Amino acid sequence: MSDQQLLGNFTDQDAPAYEDVLQCMRCGFCLPTCPTFALTGRERSSPRGRVALARAVAEGRLDFNLAMKEEAFFCLDCRACTSACPSGVKAGEVMEICRAQVHQQLPAPKWQGTLRNLVLKKMVPNPDLMETSMLPARLYQKLGIQWLVRNSKILKLGPAWIDKAEGMLPALHPPLRPQLPDLSPAKGEKRGTVAFFLGCVMTLLYPEVSRQTVKVLNHQGFDVITPKQQKCCGAPHLTEGDRDTTREIAAFNLDLFLDLDVDAIVTDCAGCGAALKEYEEILAERADHERLHLFHQKIKDISEFLFTQGIRTEGLKPVEKSVTYHEPCHLCHAQGISKQPRELIRSIPGVEFREMKEASWCCGSAATFSLKFTDESQKILDRKLENVRKTGAEILVTGNPGCHLQLAWGLQQAQMPQSVLHITELLGLATPD
Amino acid sequence: MITQSAVEQLEQALGKDKLITAKEDLLVLGYDSTPGLHAMPDLVVYPTSTQDVIKVVEVARGHNIPLTPRGSATGLSGGSIPINGGIVICLTKMNRILEIDEENLTATCEAGVVTLDLFNAVAEKGLFYPPDPGSQKISTLAGNVMEDAGGLRGLKYGVTRDYVMALTCVLADGSLISTGGKSVKDVAGYAFKDLLVGSEGTLGIITEITVKLIPPPQTKQTFLAYFDNIRTAGEAVSKIIAAKIIPSTMEIMDKATINCVEDYAGIGLPRQMAALLLIEVDGHPAVVAEEAEALKAILEQVGSAEVHQAKDAQDAMKLAEARRTALSALARVSPTTLLEDATVPRSKLADTFTLIEQLTEKYQLTVGTFGHAGDGNLHPTVLCDERNEDEMKRAHAFYDELYEQVLAWGGTVSGEHGIGIAKKGYLAKQIGPGGVAVMRRIKSAFDPQGIMNPGKIFVSEQE
Ligand SMILES: Cc1cc2nc3c(=O)[nH]c(=O)nc-3n(C[C@H](O)[C@H](O)[C@H](O)COP(=O)(O)OP(=O)(O)OC[C@H]3O[C@@H](n4cnc5c(N)ncnc54)[C@H](O)[C@@H]3O)c2cc1C
Ligand code: SF4
Ligand code: SF4
Repeated sequence: MSDQQLLGNFTDQDAPAYEDVLQCMRCGFCLPTCPTFALTGRERSSPRGRVALARAVAEGRLDFNLAMKEEAFFCLDCRACTSACPSGVKAGEVMEICRAQVHQQLPAPKWQGTLRNLVLKKMVPNPDLMETSMLPARLYQKLGIQWLVRNSKILKLGPAWIDKAEGMLPALHPPLRPQLPDLSPAKGEKRGTVAFFLGCVMTLLYPEVSRQTVKVLNHQGFDVITPKQQKCCGAPHLTEGDRDTTREIAAFNLDLFLDLDVDAIVTDCAGCGAALKEYEEILAERADHERLHLFHQKIKDISEFLFTQGIRTEGLKPVEKSVTYHEPCHLCHAQGISKQPRELIRSIPGVEFREMKEASWCCGSAATFSLKFTDESQKILDRKLENVRKTGAEILVTGNPGCHLQLAWGLQQAQMPQSVLHITELLGLATPD
Repeated sequence: MITQSAVEQLEQALGKDKLITAKEDLLVLGYDSTPGLHAMPDLVVYPTSTQDVIKVVEVARGHNIPLTPRGSATGLSGGSIPINGGIVICLTKMNRILEIDEENLTATCEAGVVTLDLFNAVAEKGLFYPPDPGSQKISTLAGNVMEDAGGLRGLKYGVTRDYVMALTCVLADGSLISTGGKSVKDVAGYAFKDLLVGSEGTLGIITEITVKLIPPPQTKQTFLAYFDNIRTAGEAVSKIIAAKIIPSTMEIMDKATINCVEDYAGIGLPRQMAALLLIEVDGHPAVVAEEAEALKAILEQVGSAEVHQAKDAQDAMKLAEARRTALSALARVSPTTLLEDATVPRSKLADTFTLIEQLTEKYQLTVGTFGHAGDGNLHPTVLCDERNEDEMKRAHAFYDELYEQVLAWGGTVSGEHGIGIAKKGYLAKQIGPGGVAVMRRIKSAFDPQGIMNPGKIFVSEQE
């Protein structure tokens, strides 16, 4: 029996493995790390509760119903529970797989209309963006607005929030991708060649950050190749439970990047990095195992890459600033990268590094736009901001666009003096042009 | 089943927001950390004040509905599982620390305050709340009080009971009692407070708790001692105690546990060793230095394979944190983790390890053992699969035989996890029919209707 998949009320395509849900011993260690549990205090919105619900579906005690759908999409997939769980349970992943079940088992949700409106209002007026018309949609998925639209009921948001949310959306820039040269050459003694994976959010919202990434890599002695045909990492589709599209995109990117003769594939978006590293699992049944493994090994977050290569500090300008660091969930929980960015920050001449409390507690990024509207949810952000405040640092560094946006907005609302920088922007300050 | 009129009364008394009736919510509010146990409540309430709790008890009493208190449901004997359905009353939203009294060295909290939150709050004021169960980062104080939870520091600092100064409790008839207080001495009448501690929610619902605080130790030193043979580790524990050294912590992990914890925490534990002891001595610097030396000498003399000292406080904390994950980490090996809570006089530790090894062999099981060695409190954990009936039978036979011997040695069937549903049979063996009869009489004095957490601790007359 044990090697046969128990499905119960799951369909057989893309269902959570029964063994994976059985693994949970209900110790509750994950509870204090889960943002949605902190928001609601509701057991079913905790990792332990979600896994128990999935187990009930697999055992036929519960239909795959509306509540399952709600939890599948209310879960931020931030993976904090994975880091916290001593038994190796991955509640976030189980919920991500459940999203695929939603598409198979339940009709399309109403919120989609609202979302489309929100996105279109913001996007269509800008003709430059039309060529990349799919980008904005992905962007908004990735920034979590959609999470909010969808969960406004659970979060008990009033009807006015959507207007306010819209007002908070950042302005979009012309995408960076077409502007970057195919090859940006290394400076000084050449140390290698990397391919640059440029995320959708980075190219649209933070083009200046990614320019700095390329500049820093060049200055550190790396040729940077940016393949123009590259596609979205697939995370937004995965998030939506559209695993088929994810598999198509993944297969395309896999071939594109493996054809390049590079030492590493570098990204400056923690969310993309996490997704790219998951290709090995997503494509497990489709692509050659060795190629997948090779690809996985080549994917490096920028801080991971620079740390392993060792940073050349000669020629760097001192940056006389005090700096603290917020860990993006997709870097520390999903990729296990925690030490590297801190060491990089410390290695910049002049910088004084100050550790903050609870650096790896979610900033509520996916919940960005809710934070303003409910007392309870404001607390998540307040908690983060208070920890930033206590460090007294001048600069808050992070490594993921979602966090970046959230933190910048939060600091501004709280009228705090810190500026938010991506880690390559900080390195960029030290790097001569 | 709960009647519509009871639901309406609750709605009226508390407001809809505090009531949970949807099936998906109820499904996840009928388990705790005890393997294999689950029951559906008919309704769950989340009170936010003592007044709310009184109102719930009144409705339950009027309709004769069973009432099961629940904290964070990390219990390991099924205490918060509503085996007869009815109402689960979940105290997690009553989680305010009401007062930290630095003059009297006490803290007063609502029932649902998380253990570690209290620890941190008093530490900020330079004070110390010692009881630290493995589950401290999520367990509630009331849950600790109701199970009389122990922890890693039990050996020197005692268990939860030793810190409870006062309790506010709603009884089954809806009356409110306060027992104990901030005075350090109190012999006024029966010690209700002591009766309530460890009563597993069967006598009343705790809403507020006042605990004793102490000044923290000035310094501490942490050691890891490795052993080629688990029996030797047991001897080391007895020898250390016999030498009149009382470490604050003396925790054991066997090979299986070491490997699981290392898989999770990755802090460089020695995978090939048969056992390790995590030992901490704390107090005045001069005393700590002296005890540390004596400790090292004893460890060497009994034949510990290696002794390492934690570099600094952070390193020491990492080790303790890792130890706290032992049970959950063992769960990564197999779908089901059956754990027990056998406690023996400390002089019997080495024999207990031998017995566990023999029984493991006899019943062909995989067992990981860890626990509060300094307290003689072991958690032999059978790593099994609940779908394998034969294996489950062998696991139960293993425990039956183990407990028989533990009782013969003057030990107990539960050191800290309580009896709950899981160990009713063993308790009867330990205290005999006379003991059970007295407990029943006490129970009915508090709760004549039998609505408070029925079906726990002892087999009820109807069963
Ligand atoms: C990984 C792990 C490690 C653990 N380590 C330890 C350890 O080192 N030492 C130890 O002693 N235990 C340990 N435990 C067991 C458990 O955590 C403790 O028993 C803890 O005290 C339970 O707290 P809780 O809030 O989860 O209570 P619950 O499990 O929710 O409830 C426990 C009991 O208390 C009753 N109860 C809860 N709140 C109230 C209230 N307000 N009024 C009346 N009754 C109430 C319930 O009805 C139930 O009978 C561990 C558990 C796990 C999962
Ligand atoms: S998911 Fe992991 S941490 Fe959470 S309750 Fe289950 S076993 Fe414990
Ligand atoms: S992934 Fe994040 S939101 Fe989802 S269950 Fe885990 S901790 Fe909670």
